[in-house]
Amino acid sequence: MTNAGHRLLWTIVALLLIAVGAAALAASLGALPGADPAAVLLSADLVDRWRMAAPWSTLAAAVAGALFALAGQRLLVREARGPGGTLRGTLSHPGRRPGRTRLAADVLADALVRDLTGNPGVRRARVVLTGPPPHPDLWIRVDLTADAPAAGVREHVRAAVRRFAATTDCQPAHLDVTARIEPSRP
Amino acid sequence: MRSANRVASLLLASALLIGGAMLALQALLLTLDRPTPLDTAGWFDALSGTRWRDPTVQTVAGGALLLGLAILVAQLRRWTPVRLRADERDGWYLHRRCVERRLADAASAVPGVRRARVRVRRRGGQWRPRVRATGDPAARAEIEFAVHQELHRLTAPRPGRIDVRLLPRRRPA
Repeated sequence: MTNAGHRLLWTIVALLLIAVGAAALAASLGALPGADPAAVLLSADLVDRWRMAAPWSTLAAAVAGALFALAGQRLLVREARGPGGTLRGTLSHPGRRPGRTRLAADVLADALVRDLTGNPGVRRARVVLTGPPPHPDLWIRVDLTADAPAAGVREHVRAAVRRFAATTDCQPAHLDVTARIEPSRP
Repeated sequence: MRSANRVASLLLASALLIGGAMLALQALLLTLDRPTPLDTAGWFDALSGTRWRDPTVQTVAGGALLLGLAILVAQLRRWTPVRLRADERDGWYLHRRCVERRLADAASAVPGVRRARVRVRRRGGQWRPRVRATGDPAARAEIEFAVHQELHRLTAPRPGRIDVRLLPRRRPA
């Protein structure tokens, strides 16, 4: 899940907490119309109605519990998978003559990683393709060695992206390169 | 904040998964009139015996309200960016922590300077490095020069003013 996703999730959780807390506080102070501060939290009337509605009430609780558990499981899976939206599958190009060219997206990403790490200044590279195939968005992260000349590596990355665009006939719509540089001292 | 959010999300997901599964199991066993793993009689008594105006209810409600406000403020305020844009045209960004570490190393390498710490912020499209170090106050110009050189080496844009704060080294008593 992305940072923005987490931020949205916790903003919603915060708003829910504020709404519930404010409502309970208002009910407790007698400021909520229709709520009696002297009443118990779980009134006998409510308990009677719950018992009358059995087994549907308990079944509804079971379904609600299952939905909560499913939401938790989905959230855990998303947490474990990391940022999503990676383009998987194939890029397909119609040719001038009958026929199509098909290329697997992860093969292309691997090829660009190999090209990028060809420079001795690049220790590691990670490439993610997202978006529609003819003009994908290209997200690159390069880890540079401490002694790498940043200007040279930058030019190398630019050339590698040009080669990628020429080979695949996919001009990236958006290019985003993040460089991490090792500290100069061990 | 990003790490805190990640850990909090993991905890929330685990709580939802475990709590939801237990609620489903408990409710299903109740429906089938089977013995349940959780004894809810204590909770039932507590909820039936507590009134809305009790101080416990007010404390819990106030706590939830304050916690919600604190989380909301933490999420909505501006966060320190993870990376700094180096160039408008080719989408090149530098990881902020890496840049700060490199600049700190460069400042520490100036003779007479020890333990330099650097923070880089963006103000109005310009980088503003802030250097804090212990050492000779006369080394200010050299530190500025070293930081400029290092930024040039990293192909970073020309920074705005470099804020250098030098604390004189404490003499042993």
